[in-house]
Amino acid sequence: MRNKEPADKLFKLEHLVPTVFLILSFVAWQFSGLSGTFVINQVITRFIRDGLLVLSLIIPVVAGMGLNFAIIVGAMTAQTALLFVINYQLEGARGILLVLFLGILLSALVGFVIGHILNRVKGKEMIVTIIIGFLANSLYQLIFLVGFGTFIPVVNKEIILSRGIGVRNAVDLGMYRNTIDKLWLLKIGDIEIPLFMILVVLLFAGMLYYLLHTRFGQQVKAVGSGNEKAEIAGINVNLLRIKVIILSTVLAALGQLVYLQNIGMFDVYTAHMNADIISCAALLAGGASIKSAKIRHAIIGIFLFHTLFIVSPQAGQNLFHNAALGEYFRSFVAYGTIAFALIINIKHEK
Amino acid sequence: MGNILEIKNLSKSYNGIPALTKVNLSVKAGEIHGIVGANGSGKSTLMNILFGNPIIRETGGYQGKIAYAGKSLQAKSCAEVIRMGMGMVHQEFALLPDLTIGENIKLGREETYQFTDRLFGKKLSFIDRKRNDTSAARVLKKLGIDVDVGVKIINLSTNTRQFVEIAREIARTDLKLLLLDEPTAVLSKDDASNLIEALLGLAKDGLGILFISHRLEEVQQICDRVTVFRDGAVVSQYHKGEISVNNLARDMIGHTVQLANATKRAMKTRPAIRFQQFSVAMPGEEIKDLDLTVFAGEILGLTGLSGHGKLALGYGLMGMYPVAGEVIYENKKIDTLLAKTNILKGMYVLPDDRQALGILPEHSVAENIIFTGNQVKDMFSRNFGRSFLGFIDQKKAHRYVDQVVQDFSIKCSSPKQKLKELSGGNQQKVCLARALTVNPQLLFVAEPTRGIDISAKEKILNLLIDINRTKHTTLVIASSELDELKRVCDRIAVMVNGSIFKILFPDSPDLEFGLALAGEEGTYA
Amino acid sequence: MRNYKIKPPQIIILIFLMILVLLAYVLQMDLVILFNESLTKLVMNGVLVLALIPMLNVGAGMNFGLPVGIVGGLVGLCIAVNFRLTGFFGFFMSLFFSLVICAILGWIYGRLLNRVKGREEIAGTFIGFSMIPLMNYFWTLAPFQNRQMLYPIGGQGLRPKISLEPYFYNVLDNFCLLKIGALEIPLGLLAFYALICLFLYLFFRTKSGRATLATGENEAFARLSGIDIGRIRLLAIVLSTMLAGIGICVYAQSYGFIQLYDEPLSMAFPAISAVLIGGSTGRRTWIFEAVLGAYLLQTIYLLTVPIANEILIPEVTEILRTFITYSIILYALLYRDKRGISH
Repeated sequence: MRNKEPADKLFKLEHLVPTVFLILSFVAWQFSGLSGTFVINQVITRFIRDGLLVLSLIIPVVAGMGLNFAIIVGAMTAQTALLFVINYQLEGARGILLVLFLGILLSALVGFVIGHILNRVKGKEMIVTIIIGFLANSLYQLIFLVGFGTFIPVVNKEIILSRGIGVRNAVDLGMYRNTIDKLWLLKIGDIEIPLFMILVVLLFAGMLYYLLHTRFGQQVKAVGSGNEKAEIAGINVNLLRIKVIILSTVLAALGQLVYLQNIGMFDVYTAHMNADIISCAALLAGGASIKSAKIRHAIIGIFLFHTLFIVSPQAGQNLFHNAALGEYFRSFVAYGTIAFALIINIKHEK
Repeated sequence: MGNILEIKNLSKSYNGIPALTKVNLSVKAGEIHGIVGANGSGKSTLMNILFGNPIIRETGGYQGKIAYAGKSLQAKSCAEVIRMGMGMVHQEFALLPDLTIGENIKLGREETYQFTDRLFGKKLSFIDRKRNDTSAARVLKKLGIDVDVGVKIINLSTNTRQFVEIAREIARTDLKLLLLDEPTAVLSKDDASNLIEALLGLAKDGLGILFISHRLEEVQQICDRVTVFRDGAVVSQYHKGEISVNNLARDMIGHTVQLANATKRAMKTRPAIRFQQFSVAMPGEEIKDLDLTVFAGEILGLTGLSGHGKLALGYGLMGMYPVAGEVIYENKKIDTLLAKTNILKGMYVLPDDRQALGILPEHSVAENIIFTGNQVKDMFSRNFGRSFLGFIDQKKAHRYVDQVVQDFSIKCSSPKQKLKELSGGNQQKVCLARALTVNPQLLFVAEPTRGIDISAKEKILNLLIDINRTKHTTLVIASSELDELKRVCDRIAVMVNGSIFKILFPDSPDLEFGLALAGEEGTYA
Repeated sequence: MRNYKIKPPQIIILIFLMILVLLAYVLQMDLVILFNESLTKLVMNGVLVLALIPMLNVGAGMNFGLPVGIVGGLVGLCIAVNFRLTGFFGFFMSLFFSLVICAILGWIYGRLLNRVKGREEIAGTFIGFSMIPLMNYFWTLAPFQNRQMLYPIGGQGLRPKISLEPYFYNVLDNFCLLKIGALEIPLGLLAFYALICLFLYLFFRTKSGRATLATGENEAFARLSGIDIGRIRLLAIVLSTMLAGIGICVYAQSYGFIQLYDEPLSMAFPAISAVLIGGSTGRRTWIFEAVLGAYLLQTIYLLTVPIANEILIPEVTEILRTFITYSIILYALLYRDKRGISH
């Protein structure tokens, strides 16, 4: 029989983590000497870039599967779709639609496979998703560094390395750059607010909120509360878990597309790296745990985490005359937040 | 009214061991049909079959026919059975702890907004929380319960959980048959009678109810028919009016003519261990405020239906679960229950779940036998650097193990054979050998004959008597095999709801045991 | 090693290895030199693989937090180099410093892991990951004096790659090097490796060692038998961390450089996949399995480099390595014994 005490502690933790982040960000901002408007503009950009990726983590957490580090695979499927379309030199609206279509199709397929795999390892999903991410990364590199020009015919010579095999490290996305970013750009003083993109992220957030409050969402919550009991209550647990992962992977793929078009340059082999770690850390910074995550955690988390992310290198520079120290600090914050959440939550489970 | 459920010649066995044999049973609409039986009588197997538990299919399905609402029932999953209008209230609650009462009651049948219904279909329609909660509250009110439906299940008492679980089932409009597994076991008398009122009302509305309970008085009070199970078969059936608590109790236990192997003794020696207000928080087997004195040199049996705490005593003593209360051993109070110090003081516990807790399956017979003695008492260690190095003195160990293997006639190709390759009976002998290596004064054994074939059972029981008589070890045997306890023990304590209900003797009449197991004071002739 | 069974991953790896050897032969590479090198590589990486055994055997799973021990060892190495200690004395002093530091780090790491019983792997991964940026502070700010360790100009703190050439580069590798024609057998190195194997072998025969094995096999049983589970697990984790410290020292003396900063981040994965190739299932692991696995994996790594250079694109080596590493770990996670380490 569990008493109320752990629940109370968890509740406090939900506020504690964001508060710590708030204080850290504020202090680091003070030392960084960066202007408020610069930071705000940067954070808004990051909000747009990373919004969907962070949101894609929520449903797996609610379903009791923990942090889905395999969203990085979704990101890679989006990049795959993009590269193929660029390879066949499809431009304009047709190109964009095809990228979307291919990205969703591929990520849904991959999500299906990952869902199946995760059903074999109930209770150990997180470590398995991490390894899946690493493995997929090797596979991805194999395809684009070795496969292109050997097995896969090259149409667009511009994206290929001079030796004729393998895709270049960076591919320009000139034709897609900021196509939708600048829509409905609102300016308040020096602060730029790309209203349209913010609305897109909020729309997805709203859709997730809606989904979690349907019968489907109720089933997801039930599965997250206990696998066997959900099964007895008449829910097909395995199928539901697969659906959850498909949803998460597709969202991640869309998120990565938003991310890439915002950046405008496509670093073929590194653009997706750490997307999982940073998104997970951002979600946790907002007060989520590996057992419970809400939309507001994602939104608050992105703001808090990225503020710290933006200001810490400059703060490091000013404090120690070494920007690298700020870099270390932010990777420590990213890994450390996740490690902390894991240690705290697993203890609470008992 | 016609039969909702009709079971004909139902048989089921697990790995060749029969659990149900040729069971015939029927439930009419509007009828409350009681099922009574001791542990292992086949009640839960029946429930699992009816409710489509995947375990049944995984272990080879069943024989016989089940007709439900006029159609043959071949359920593959719980979800399928639920769709057909069957509901079940589980003994271990099937409620989702992180969801609220309202969410649990309405799970899968949530009230949704009509607008989004039309837009996306029922499954993806937005839930109308308010309507959902009021509807859930209405059902609870029907059961005579008034709680805030927004509270999460983890914060509820077992009492309320039971009502929520029942409310979840009766909230359904398509319910035709309700299976209730010990619904009143955790309820207080008042709440139980509340529930019974509600059940009678439901039956009046035409619902068929299959009611499993060990509270015989209740069964007598509300059931239209009662079927008594024993050893997987139906032994008797009574209609309303002919049901009597005494008959039920007698049928449940059965007439077993067994000569006691152990000679009778009157034990009133000094107490070996005393439990006072002792509680153990073992999930599903809680002990609450138990008072018990075990006398030195006796064999005390501990029995009770499963879930009533007979297994928790040994675990509690070894500090495996949080405990409260006092334990007085050899006239000294024990402050903290730690396995190591207790073993050094002369206590030892052999657990019921041999595979999970009792053995090191990948280690050899020899390593298993000497393990505890070596770890706790530094037996068989070389003298050099005993405390931190403690290499084993192989010669000494071999000599000892060879002797024990011979004494206990443990069948193994050599003491180096892996324990998992031995039969259950021989594994149990190895466990006993391990226990005796530390030379305990007080030995707790739980379910010593579980999963062991019949011939080996006799050997284990004789071994236990032998240990008691020759080594004067005090034994406490927790078992659901009443027969065996009667043949071995000097006294048999019957546990109900986590404390001692009554202490009986091997020659007490069966009826008395039956009543005690059911927690009925009852009068008997 | 009783009932040693060859499982599908080993068969695939063996076939792969045979193909590589065949290819090397066809490409007329010097197989003797490759063999010489394979022995060195075995020990160079083998100690890190052995370091996994105590944690596997106590039931704490694969030690994804191996970087904790590795950075401890790196600190030890840096201290030895800072005082310009050379030759065997330098090497053994670095071992000594490493052991002390790893014992402390291992104790903290063990305390953390004891709080997350059953989920050691994911928690270990992130504890290991977090150690890296934390230690980056140390590399940057610690007051090391030896000019040869520091960034030459600009930059602050230790350089990412510190040469061991002037100190104890290859002291073990060249100790008692037996030469028979072209064949070179590093007897000293192998003896050192054998010594660590022997130490582990003896450890599992001590009282604590036996308790470790029992805890890994059946924790509840061990608890009922009066064993202090927390203490035994802590012991195994500290041991694992200390062995990782020794492992990186051996690695560095063989490789010739101390690699700092992000280098240790993913060093746990090849070690884990080696022990899995050897036949471990993520539970009780025999020393033989760790040795065999280390040898197989390292030989494959060794062979892929020249072959890839010869016939394929150079990058493919590294990608193929990671691909093999992660597929093996994933396979092991998916197919491990259901009774596995979770209780």
